[in-house]
Amino acid sequence: MENSKKNRPGWSSYLKWIWQNANYVLIFAVIFLVYLLINGQATNWAGITNIMRHSSVIGIVALAMGLIILIGDIDLSVGSSIALVGGFSVLIFNATGSVAITLAAGILGGAFTGLINGMLIGKVRMPAFIATLATMMMYRSISQYYLASSGVAMYKVDASSPGYDAFFKLGNGNIMTIPILTLVFLAMALMLIYINGSTKFGKTIYALGSNEKAARLAGINTEWLRVAVFVIAGALVGLAAVLFAAQNGTITPSSAGKNYELYAIAAVVIGGVSMLGGKGKIVGVIFGMLTFTIIDKIILSLGYNPLINDTIKGAILLMAILFQMFQKGGKPSR
Amino acid sequence: MLLEMINIDKSFFNVKVLNDVSLHVEKGEVHALLGENGAGKSTLMNILGGVHEKDRGTITLDHEKIEKINPKIAPQLGIAFVHQELNLFNDLRVFENIFLREEITNKFGQLDKQKMIGEVEKLFHNMGVDIDPTVMVSELDTSKKQLLEIAKALRKDAKLFILDEPTTALGNLEIENLFSIIRRLKEQGKSFIFISHKMPEIFQIADKYTVLRNGDFVGAGSISEVTPESLTRMMVGDCYDNRDIYVCRELKEPILELQNFSGKGFQDVNLTVNKGEVLSLTGLQGSGCSELMQCIFGCTKPTSGTLKINGKVVSGGIRTLMKNKVGMIASNRKENAILKDLCLLENCYVSEHTLSWKKQKINKQRELEKYNVLSKKLNIKANSCKDLIVSLSGGNQQKVMIARWLNTDAEIFLLDNPTQGIDVGAKSEIYKLIVQLSEQGKTIIMNTQEISEIQKISDRCAIFYHSRLQIVLDRKDINEETVMLYATNAHGIREGQNGKQ
Repeated sequence: MENSKKNRPGWSSYLKWIWQNANYVLIFAVIFLVYLLINGQATNWAGITNIMRHSSVIGIVALAMGLIILIGDIDLSVGSSIALVGGFSVLIFNATGSVAITLAAGILGGAFTGLINGMLIGKVRMPAFIATLATMMMYRSISQYYLASSGVAMYKVDASSPGYDAFFKLGNGNIMTIPILTLVFLAMALMLIYINGSTKFGKTIYALGSNEKAARLAGINTEWLRVAVFVIAGALVGLAAVLFAAQNGTITPSSAGKNYELYAIAAVVIGGVSMLGGKGKIVGVIFGMLTFTIIDKIILSLGYNPLINDTIKGAILLMAILFQMFQKGGKPSR
Repeated sequence: MLLEMINIDKSFFNVKVLNDVSLHVEKGEVHALLGENGAGKSTLMNILGGVHEKDRGTITLDHEKIEKINPKIAPQLGIAFVHQELNLFNDLRVFENIFLREEITNKFGQLDKQKMIGEVEKLFHNMGVDIDPTVMVSELDTSKKQLLEIAKALRKDAKLFILDEPTTALGNLEIENLFSIIRRLKEQGKSFIFISHKMPEIFQIADKYTVLRNGDFVGAGSISEVTPESLTRMMVGDCYDNRDIYVCRELKEPILELQNFSGKGFQDVNLTVNKGEVLSLTGLQGSGCSELMQCIFGCTKPTSGTLKINGKVVSGGIRTLMKNKVGMIASNRKENAILKDLCLLENCYVSEHTLSWKKQKINKQRELEKYNVLSKKLNIKANSCKDLIVSLSGGNQQKVMIARWLNTDAEIFLLDNPTQGIDVGAKSEIYKLIVQLSEQGKTIIMNTQEISEIQKISDRCAIFYHSRLQIVLDRKDINEETVMLYATNAHGIREGQNGKQ
């Protein structure tokens, strides 16, 4: 404390603070700078809103994953949930023509897939990795099987439905040039930031992720807390599934949301959330997600084959983990 | 002279834990290394065993100066170390543990299990130990595991054996057997460094002693020239006169009653605790005190019997007990109590929040005020309430845990080994806090194995042996000998000779 009084806080001390507490901002800044350099004069507001649009649906999934990783678990089933809940909400929309009912049904459906995961992990006490590996296989398969039995290739939003315009606008419209999808993503992020920072529920999430045994002995009902977190995460994934359908107009069960679990985990890790749980911020997940989308855009601008995408994303992920390890090494380990 | 450790210094993170300490062990001698917890005994031994590196000083073994030791070299030098914590592999068999990395093989490199099992049987027979060499270690109870740990060391052809509290989990007969083995090996010229807190044992087996206190060398000499009292005084120093922390109080009505209370690890406990009382539970490792405490707090379910609080039968989980104003500071703070990724403030309010769960929004201002009051009251030394709890010393961490339960307005405090891993100064602060709390009418039930701390603050002491409550001693009757007598059930054996006590 006395030292900081002597040396006036300058640029370097701010940078140091960011480096130690929010290195995801630095990673984002570097990648964004690269994007600006490569894109040069072609950069415009439309390009930037495009980045936001493409970060939004998977961003909501990443928020859900962030919560789950904060309690020290993992959810591999999120991508498959998109295929299942998304397909199911297309059917609901086609039957009702109501955007509100579809959203409600999607969120409830997602919460239900989350409840299944949560019960298996929180109550039956299965390892999250295995339980969600199993539901990952099941959710997508159910979606595919149901569709096959009705004889079409994908769940298609009915364009003649009276609510079609509103549904399309939800997925593709803008408010003051900002995509509606992005506004929903940011609203969800703000909600979670509030929950995690200012409610008792939020603090218990960190307590559970930090030390389950101690959390239990401090009076926290760890079993139900875990179930609740999976239900909330499921509801978010359900919302993302409806938005996915609104954005694309179709849900192809074999490919919708494929690998989303991997990208979501990567965004969470780049966002500085510890895979061991208990440590990290939801804000980081937003930056992690944007970083990931920008890499796509960079590769697109360079005109490279998109197949190289995952190589670069993987490399960025490794770098992020290296950063975090260095930081840990800086502090005395107890 | 077999071993000479001279002027040893050692610091961890700039905290000096050994300051100019020396230790001399002759050939064929049992040398007791004494001191309170945190005095530096284990650190000194870990330097000798090569686990830690010394900062300064010289070590000479058999007249040869040793420059470098690590856990791999130490056995080659003839040092065998029986650690206090068990270093066994639960998923391997007994003989596999003993021969790990030194397996006997036949010509083709195949394990010669028969031969290994035979050798282990011979070893166990010599030790008077009854363990099946082929059984899985996970199936052994703690005392057998401790014997196995000792056997592992004894099998090696060492010159110097370090036994770090080898008898904590052993019964009297097993201790007798161990001592006769030690005497036999001593006659063969082997030396032992024997760390123990049990005075009677030390006077039974040791020839020489060295006492450490707070990392300093206090004294050394022959056991025959000292008494248990003078040794204890050397160990605890001025703190020995610190008995006046205790304040005589009038105890009020019963607040917690156990009737035929049974569960995993304890049986048929009948006990009444009065409001404002400090009651200690004690017994050897595994005697059931800790299990009883966890069951009272609702961590485990009792199999039979009743728990009454304020005359009302209470049964249920942790939250039910918390609503009945019970709080528990669990043993093994790092594992069971602190939330390492959370700051002091968050660690302090987490339990209260589970009680005020319905009001979800955290009133940050109010929480801060409450924390400041508690931290002042408990004298928590920290720069900021936003610091991570792991940045604090053990004693301060423990104060935050006390704050956590004061925050819930708990009336009954269950403290499971509350001074574990806390240095001597902070310990006496914790004792004072406990006494203060009891003066304010809080009821304290404390599980501990340190008799000195029982004497310092308890009104009564309940002693357990093999999951049963043996006796409840009043304050005036609490002394090391009596407590050990009941804790080891020597009372049951001696009763015939001494008449009823």
